[in-house]
Amino acid sequence: MDETKQITILILDDEPIVCKRLKSALERKGYHVETFSKSSEAVARIREKTFEIVITDLKMEGIDGMQFLTEVKQRSPKTEVIVITGFATMETAKESFRKGVLDFLAKPFKLGEIFQVIEKAEKKIQQTNQEVSE
Amino acid sequence: MITHLPDWTRTIFRLGRPVRRPRSFSDLFSRFRKILESNNRILDLMTGMGDKLSGDYIFDSQYIHSTCREMGNLVYMLIQDLNYIAGNRYKALNDAFRRINTSIEDILEGRPDTEEASLYVLPHTKVNTDIEAVVGSKNANIAELKNILGLKVPDGFAITTNAFRLFLEYNGIDLEIKKNIEQWHKGQLSSAIAASRISRLIKQGRIPPRMKKQITRAMQQLSVSAGNKKFFVAVRSSALGEDGQFSFAGQYLSLLNEPRDNIFNSYKSVIASIYTETAMEYRKSTGFEEHEVAMAVICMIMISPKVSGVLYTMDPMKPESKTLIINANWGLGAPVVAGEMRSDSFEIQRDSAHKIVGMNIVRKTHALETLPGGGVTIKEVDPDLQTKACIKAEEAVRLAQAGLIIERYFKQPQDIEFSIDRNGTIWFLQARPLNIKEKMAKMVCDIREIAKTYPVIFSGKGLVAQSGVATGKVFMYKKHESLDEFSQGDILVAEQTSPIFAQIARNAAGIITDIGSPTGHMATIAREFRVPTIVDTQVATSMLSDGQQITLDADANVVYDGNADALCYYEFTDEHFEQTAEYRLLKRVLKKISPLNFVDPEDKKFSPKYCRTFHDITRFVHEKAVEELINLNYYDLKHDNSKAVKLDLHIPLDLMLIDVGGGLEDKATDNNITQENIVSIPLKAFLKGLTKEGMWCSEPMSVDFGSFMSSLTRTFSSHLANPKDIGRNLVIMSENYANISLRLGYHFNMVDAYMSDNHNDNYAYFRFFGGVTDVRRRSRRVSFISEVLAEHNFRVEQKGDLIVARIKKISRAKMEESMTVIGQLVAFTRQLDVKMINDNYVAKYIDDFWAMTKHSSG
Repeated sequence: MDETKQITILILDDEPIVCKRLKSALERKGYHVETFSKSSEAVARIREKTFEIVITDLKMEGIDGMQFLTEVKQRSPKTEVIVITGFATMETAKESFRKGVLDFLAKPFKLGEIFQVIEKAEKKIQQTNQEVSE
Repeated sequence: MITHLPDWTRTIFRLGRPVRRPRSFSDLFSRFRKILESNNRILDLMTGMGDKLSGDYIFDSQYIHSTCREMGNLVYMLIQDLNYIAGNRYKALNDAFRRINTSIEDILEGRPDTEEASLYVLPHTKVNTDIEAVVGSKNANIAELKNILGLKVPDGFAITTNAFRLFLEYNGIDLEIKKNIEQWHKGQLSSAIAASRISRLIKQGRIPPRMKKQITRAMQQLSVSAGNKKFFVAVRSSALGEDGQFSFAGQYLSLLNEPRDNIFNSYKSVIASIYTETAMEYRKSTGFEEHEVAMAVICMIMISPKVSGVLYTMDPMKPESKTLIINANWGLGAPVVAGEMRSDSFEIQRDSAHKIVGMNIVRKTHALETLPGGGVTIKEVDPDLQTKACIKAEEAVRLAQAGLIIERYFKQPQDIEFSIDRNGTIWFLQARPLNIKEKMAKMVCDIREIAKTYPVIFSGKGLVAQSGVATGKVFMYKKHESLDEFSQGDILVAEQTSPIFAQIARNAAGIITDIGSPTGHMATIAREFRVPTIVDTQVATSMLSDGQQITLDADANVVYDGNADALCYYEFTDEHFEQTAEYRLLKRVLKKISPLNFVDPEDKKFSPKYCRTFHDITRFVHEKAVEELINLNYYDLKHDNSKAVKLDLHIPLDLMLIDVGGGLEDKATDNNITQENIVSIPLKAFLKGLTKEGMWCSEPMSVDFGSFMSSLTRTFSSHLANPKDIGRNLVIMSENYANISLRLGYHFNMVDAYMSDNHNDNYAYFRFFGGVTDVRRRSRRVSFISEVLAEHNFRVEQKGDLIVARIKKISRAKMEESMTVIGQLVAFTRQLDVKMINDNYVAKYIDDFWAMTKHSSG
């Protein structure tokens, strides 16, 4: 991991337990993490700051996850988006991938699983950064 | 959240009537298969839910809801399938189901659990943190110190918040409170006046009769545990929210050394203390809503201590000093807690040696003591004792050890009240979190730096059974071969999990094993004591060494070399997973789902009425379904598509087969079925043993046995004769199942077995009864069979000359071996009783049998 710069992660899930658990687990791994349980607030935040990784639930009140990740990708195509959902269907999975989502995890999942996906995202980010600097 | 009704509500009215239409065996059999499948799925869901408590998963409340719903549907269907097979003889299961399911739904919907809502008084032995909302955190914590951590706590009981509300409503005080509070909030009334009005009403109130009865009964129980000697009680507050986010420290009343007859007045005084001017103003300033106010009460046997005090597991002023702090004085602890009297203070290292690194002994001129007739008084301390340290070094070490056990369990630094009696026994009276989060924060280094200072020994190797962080020295079980030298705070490292670890789990800082499963017994224990545990690392015993200082981070699944205390402190500042609403919800619903209260099917209480969890129902249904299938009178059934065919064997035995699906090769014709045509896994294995060379023609058989056998085992067509007389040599089978009924000679063998690649489904049941000789000889034969079966890991019950042997949940290969053994036994013993003239023969034949099986298999 880059020692000088922390990878920034935004997490959006309407269930506080998910945010809390992920935040503490990821902070321990050295990531900078911001969590939101209201999608409107998360939208406001991505409008003012670009995150390298976004982890979002799909089914939520108000702006749903699909709308949210669509806006994330439109604003910053380089942001890697990871979907976590308790209502996984083939349709939503397909739609997410079409929108450029990196991976799709069905809740409940093990912490180890999301760590792997995040590492995958990190590698992609590093590659892109290298390509840019070359 | 739940928008549609569960499936069972739609079907429950349809399936109430007994099934009258004739049931074919394949119908029954397919229901039985369904039961096995549902049973498995339920157990899977149950273990899955239990796993989620380890902290290694991300789950949400949606998961809890949907899993409970699925499980409810499965359990309901299980009951219907059993009732189909058993002709509706287990209708009472529907009541049990409704009872449990309603409780689960209540919990999920946040309604007070009907069971909990009816609790007014509870002995501490039945209190835990899951019912904190009813007993308050003080009751809950102190009960867990006793019930889970096994520490010394005076016996006591909780008077719940339900009782508090009942008391207020019964006396109409609830309305008065509302009125006065409103006036106070509007500024029409001072808090002092409102408080004094309310507390006067409380003190004048009458205790509702049912509450009175329960308190009296609880007091009688205390009397029994006090050895029926005269005793006094401490009556203390345990309000909701007290000791939590708001400390309310010292605001509520504690009454010490109260006569037991005065309990009702003591109770009223304590609950009235929730309405003092200070408490009301404090609540207003901290935003604690008045409608949230509810007070449970602790009533505990009073001990007359030599010395009492307070133990902090960290120094709140300078946590970085890594010490525990004890403040104590002679007599009772109240003045120490309140800071009203000078007290000795001790500073002890947190390291396992617990060296005393600081001591401040003051002149203690006065102490609070109990009075023989009740109540307390301040007395002058004996001049010799005034300047003497009131805590001995050895006591300080014991306090430190216990303090750290409590801290590890609650995962937060603790503020603990204790007393030491004249025998040197340490009694724990209260434990609550020491709120020093802000101070702790500065001790936490950058988490990413940890790996630089402390080399990673291994990471991501095992499966997390319980999350959390621990530092300590490795106790290598393999090296010590016993737990005698295990010290408090060691990290247990072992090749595999063992039930004997239960005895030290509460003292272990952490547990690491080479092999094991996160759903196993060890994991359950680790979770109960909240000991950070990683199992199945493969490498722990080879990469760690005895006495090595390590840091176990079960949150990140990493083991570091050295003592990374900062990680522990990080955990202290973290919001605890165990305190999240979802964790507690899951834990509460699991209480209605997974505990298994049934152990022995022979027990009178093995009945629907006593089912308290879904697991109980599942266990009951499984047991009864197997029993039903075994006892089925096959001859009453309509064998629709399945036709009985005769099996040709090279031994003199007629065997009729009914194949209900996949038991025979497709190419097999009705006319000439041989052993080679059998596909049914259990039957094939059975026949392998039955026809094994040497078994059938073994020495115990009489010379004319062949003809003797064939005359007795001839099979008649089942259409022609009374099933009572013939047709006992019958096999009902499918690919995975066989039910074999054999009458060989005059004894009767019954085997019922299911075998597949899923070991959870597998079982074999063997019943052996009867014989031609006198009872004594038959019993000898029975002893022989029992011994052989027990050697093969069957669970064997022997009553006279009846044997019932069971084996289950082992791999298919092992099941096949077991079935072959049954086959061999059936062949070998069919006439053994004739030969077994005295008991010495039992041993001889066992030897012969082993010799023969060894010989022929080798």
